[in-house]
Amino acid sequence: MSAADTTPMTDTAQASDKRRLLTGLASQGAVLITVVYVLLWIIYASEQPSALSAYSIESLLNNSLPLMLAAAGQTFVVLQGGFDLSVAGIISLSNVVVAVYPVEGPFGALVNLAMVVGIGLAVGATNGFLVAYMRIQSIAATLATMIICQGIALLILKAPGGYVSEFISYELTGSLFGVVPVAAVIGAAVAVIWLAFRRTNTGIALYAVGRDAAAAELSGIDVRRARFAAFCWAGVLYGCAGYMLSAQTATGNPSAGEPFLLLCFAAVALGGTSFSGGSGGVIGSLIGAATLMLMQKVLFSTGVSSFYTGVFQGVIMILAVLFAAFVQYMSRSRGNR
Amino acid sequence: MGTGGLLSVNELAKRYGATVALQSLTMDVAPHEVHAILGENGAGKSTLVKILSGVVRANGGTMRLDGIEYIPHSIVDARRAGVSTAFQELSLLPNLTVAENLLLPNVSGGPFKMSRRGETVDAARQVLSKFNVTDIDPRSRVEDLSLAEKQRVEIVRAFSHEPRLLILDEPTAALPDTTWLFDQIRRLTETGVAILYISHRLGEVRELCQRATVLRNGVSTGTVDLEGINDDEIFRMMVGRAPEARFPGRTASIAERPVALEGRNLAAGRLHDVSFTLQQGAILGVAALEGQGQVELFRALAGLDPISGGTILVDGKPTAIASPQQAMAAGISYVPEERKIEGVFSGLSTAANVSLPKIMENSKAGFLTYAQDARAITEPAKAVELAERYFGFRMNDLSGGNQQKAVLARALMSDARCLVMFDPTRGVDVGTKQAIYNMMRAFADKGGAILVYSSELAELVNLCDACLVIYGGRIAAEVPRAELSEEHLLSAAHGHVDDAPLRVAS
Repeated sequence: MSAADTTPMTDTAQASDKRRLLTGLASQGAVLITVVYVLLWIIYASEQPSALSAYSIESLLNNSLPLMLAAAGQTFVVLQGGFDLSVAGIISLSNVVVAVYPVEGPFGALVNLAMVVGIGLAVGATNGFLVAYMRIQSIAATLATMIICQGIALLILKAPGGYVSEFISYELTGSLFGVVPVAAVIGAAVAVIWLAFRRTNTGIALYAVGRDAAAAELSGIDVRRARFAAFCWAGVLYGCAGYMLSAQTATGNPSAGEPFLLLCFAAVALGGTSFSGGSGGVIGSLIGAATLMLMQKVLFSTGVSSFYTGVFQGVIMILAVLFAAFVQYMSRSRGNR
Repeated sequence: MGTGGLLSVNELAKRYGATVALQSLTMDVAPHEVHAILGENGAGKSTLVKILSGVVRANGGTMRLDGIEYIPHSIVDARRAGVSTAFQELSLLPNLTVAENLLLPNVSGGPFKMSRRGETVDAARQVLSKFNVTDIDPRSRVEDLSLAEKQRVEIVRAFSHEPRLLILDEPTAALPDTTWLFDQIRRLTETGVAILYISHRLGEVRELCQRATVLRNGVSTGTVDLEGINDDEIFRMMVGRAPEARFPGRTASIAERPVALEGRNLAAGRLHDVSFTLQQGAILGVAALEGQGQVELFRALAGLDPISGGTILVDGKPTAIASPQQAMAAGISYVPEERKIEGVFSGLSTAANVSLPKIMENSKAGFLTYAQDARAITEPAKAVELAERYFGFRMNDLSGGNQQKAVLARALMSDARCLVMFDPTRGVDVGTKQAIYNMMRAFADKGGAILVYSSELAELVNLCDACLVIYGGRIAAEVPRAELSEEHLLSAAHGHVDDAPLRVAS
C-alpha cells in the first residue's frame, strides 16, 4: 500500500469508472431512447404548438399507457431469456372481462382491477410453470396460452361491445386535481416499483438467469423460481394493460390485444433490452413504448401518410438496436485493451 | 479407510444413459488436508466435482461427511452442509458486479428486501479483504475483469461460504501467480478446512498436497502418499495398462515426401507461435490436456475461426483459410469432435450426408435421387467399413460409431488430400475404432496427410509418425516416432520436458 502502488491503481480505477459508465449506458439503453423521445417531442411541438396543451399531453399519455404496461411486462420475460406471446391473449381477455362485468364506482374499479390482476397472474403462473418447471420453450408455451385466452375472450364476448364502468373510463383517463394525468402517475408507479424490484434478490436473479442460466445455478440461484416469477410479473402487467386499454376505449373487443403482440416487442427492443436476455430494463421499455406512440402523432402532424408509420417505427428500431450494439462494442473493446 | 476423516466416499458411480462417467470411486479426506485428485481428461474428475457440489446426483455408492450420509440436492444444499466449490469453468455472472456475484444468491439480505449499493459493496469489500484481495474493485462488472481476476473472485466466493470441505477445480488455470492462492490455502487448512485440489500441474500438487487419489476411466486406482512416489509412477497409475488395440502397420517410408501442410508461427486465441510441418503420407499427432489451445489450432485449420498471426501453407504455398469452403478448396477436410453439433444433418439420410461434398456434381438438372447418392458413396463407405444397409437410415437413427464412420466417409468423399481430425474416436466402440484406424492408415499410405488430435494417448503412440505436444498455447515438445510413449507424452502434456518442470507463463 505504498504510494508507488497506489498511483497506477487510481489510473485503472478511473479507467474502470469510465468503462462502467459506458457499459452502464449501453446496458440501460434508456438514455438513448429518452433522447429520441425528447427529439420527437421537439419536432411534434414545433409542428403543432397545441401539442403542449394539457389536454393534448393527457390524451397522448392515455394512448400510450396500455402499450407501456404491456412492454414493461414483456421486459421481465425477455430479461430472463424468453418471449411471451400471451400478452395479446391476456389483454384481450382482461378487456372483455372489464367490459362485460362492469362494477360502478371507485370500489367497483378496484373489483375490476382485482379481476384483471387475477387473470394475468393465473395465465402468467401457467406460463411460468410450463416454461420453468416443464421446460417447454417459452414461445411454444405462451403461444398456446395466448390462443386459449383469445378463445375464452370470444366465449365471453362474441363481437365488440359491452361497456366499461364510468369511473374507470372517466376518472382513470383524466387528471388528478386537474393537473397530473392519471396515466403519468401509473407509468411513474410502474417505474418506481421496477427500480425497487430490480434490487431484490429476484430482480438480480432475473439478470443472472438471462445472461447465463448455468452459471446462475452454480451461483446458488433458484433458476426455475426466477423464471416463474418473471412470467407472473409479466402476466399481472398485461392484465393492467388490458385494464387501461378498457379505460381508454370504454368498450370491449375480443381481439383488442392483437396489435400489442408485435408492438410490445418493438418497444422492448427500442428501450435497449437485449432479446438474448440479461441486459436492459423496464424503464427503457416504458419510454420505448411511449416513443412508438408519439411517433404516430408526429408523423400524423407532419402530414406523412399513416401508411408510413410502420416503416418509420421499424427504421427507428433498427437504428436504436444498432446504436446500442455499437456503444457496447466500443466499451467492450476499450475494456480489453 | 479410516472413519476419522471428514469426507469418505465409497464406490461412487455416475452414469449418463449408457455412458459411464464414474464407475467406482473410493477415497477419504481428512480435516487440515489438501488432497489432490489426479487423472487424465475424461477420467471422471469433473463428474466427482459435480456430485460433491450438488450439481448432479450419483447413481451409486455412498458419501459421508463427518460420518453423516451426504446427498446434496443443490449447490445451496451442499454449501449448507459445508461444501463449497470454485468451478473450473467459472460460475460468475459477467453482467453483475463483483459485489453482487460474491453475495449471490442472497444479495439483498432477504426475499422482500432491497439491496443497497453501499451495503453490498461494503460487505463484498470485507469478504475480499478477509482473503487478502485488495486490488479488485467490488463495484466492477465481472465482464470487465481479466481472466485471472475472475478466477480469484470465483475462488474467494468459494472461500466465503466458510466450508469444511473446499473443492478447487483447476484453480490455477488462469492464475499467473499462485502465491496468493497457496497462502490462502495454508491459512484455511490451519483452521481445519479440508481441500480437494484438482489440478494437472504436478509441481503444484506436490507443493501443496499430502495425498493424491488417482482416477483412471472412472475408477479410483488408489490413494497415494505424494512423498513416496515419483512423477513417472503417478503417470503410470493415470495411464494404466489397457490392453493394446490392434494398430495397423505402416507400409511405406515417409522420409523424403513433400510437405502437404505447414503452419508457421500460427496464433489464434490462446495459441501462440505454433509451427509444424506435415508431410504427405504422414500422420502427425497432437497431444494436449484439455484447453491448451488444440481446439483453436484445429478450428483455424478447418477455416472455422480466423488466425490472428502466422501463415498456413498448403503444398508449400501460403494459403488463406478463412472459411470452411476455402479449407475444402485447399484440400483440407475437417472431422469435428462433436459430430452432433458440428458434423451432420441428423434428419437427412446417411447417403445424403455422405454425398454432400459432391452434391453439385451428382445432381441431374438440380435434382438428386437416393439411388445416385447411394451409388456415389459406395467407395468411401467401404473405406470406413460403413455397411450398405445403413445408407437409407436417417443419421439420427445410427449408433454413435456409425455416425462417426459416415462423417469420415464424407471427409473422404470430398477428395481431400489432408484430413484434420479432432478426437475422431471419442465415444465410439472398439469395432469402430478399429475401422477408423484402418481408414487413417490406408489414407496415409495412399499419400494423404493426417493431423489428428486424440485424448487417448495410446492411439497417438501407435498411429502417428510424430507427435506435437501443446501446453499453454505453445508447442511444448515434438516427439519423433522412436521416442513415442504414453508416459513421455503425458509428462510433456503436463508441462514437463525431460523431467525438468517447465512453467509456461500465462
